Amino acid sequence: MEMNDNPSGERKKQCSDESKCFELLESILDGELQDSGKEVLKEKLAKCQPCFEHYHLEQAIRDVLKTKCTKHAVPTELADRIREKIQDII
Amino acid sequence: MSEVQRRKYSQEEKNAIFDGEFMPHIDSMYNFGYRLTFDEDDAKDLVQDTYLKAYRFINSFEQGTNAKAWLFRILKNSFINEYRKKSKQPAKVDYQEVETYYNSDDVHYQTTSDLRAESVKDMLGDEISNALNSLAVDFRTVIILCDLEGFTYEEMAKILDIPIGTVRSRLHRARNLLKEKLQGYAHNMGYNTDEED
Ligand SMILES: [Zn+2]
Repeated sequence: MEMNDNPSGERKKQCSDESKCFELLESILDGELQDSGKEVLKEKLAKCQPCFEHYHLEQAIRDVLKTKCTKHAVPTELADRIREKIQDII
Repeated sequence: MSEVQRRKYSQEEKNAIFDGEFMPHIDSMYNFGYRLTFDEDDAKDLVQDTYLKAYRFINSFEQGTNAKAWLFRILKNSFINEYRKKSKQPAKVDYQEVETYYNSDDVHYQTTSDLRAESVKDMLGDEISNALNSLAVDFRTVIILCDLEGFTYEEMAKILDIPIGTVRSRLHRARNLLKEKLQGYAHNMGYNTDEED
């Protein structure tokens, strides 16, 4: 994180501690680090290319899982069947 | 399931909890069951068993706590204890994958693929679903709980009866396996996966 690493505002090509950084980025994406993570995140994404790419790939994967996975409609009779069974055990 | 009974609910209260806190999750429960078994009838049975158990043990549910996590835990246990046992399918699918990965909680986070965010975004729902479904059940489960259902690490630890550290490392491995599958699709589709080439 030395100033000299980033003289022209470009991201450095090598991450100094990929394992630690990526673990942190993944925790942030999973919502496990709230406000404390935001500053670190901003800095990493601005300064480090591997972190930047990893973050966006991980984010894309979470997004497509959330929005594109096939959802199955609950069979309409299931809720009724459950309620009937419960009437039997009351 | 905890057998600690805090108090006894009246019949009216039971029905209110069941309708107000349990039944709204039937959609997620059914999809969880389906993604575990890949079979409509098995999923229905799992969900029905879960709701009957939930009703039977309703006194051990503390009103106002996370009903969805409580129900998911029951379904997961039913799946392991009953469904997996009676299932004719041998549970050896992807077993090697699981074995090689299970030996430690220690994970070294690193770049494991040249998959690019842009090609992931272009993938079809079927490709994403197939990749997820091809993972061994324990890996599939953590992704379902975290990414599809939005549970926290702490909730997942309770649902799965494993430490939070194991949740984190299993999730990381699961996503890496998923990336490998997606990368395979990306290559087949001729997506550009490596800008250096
Ligand atoms: Zn970095």
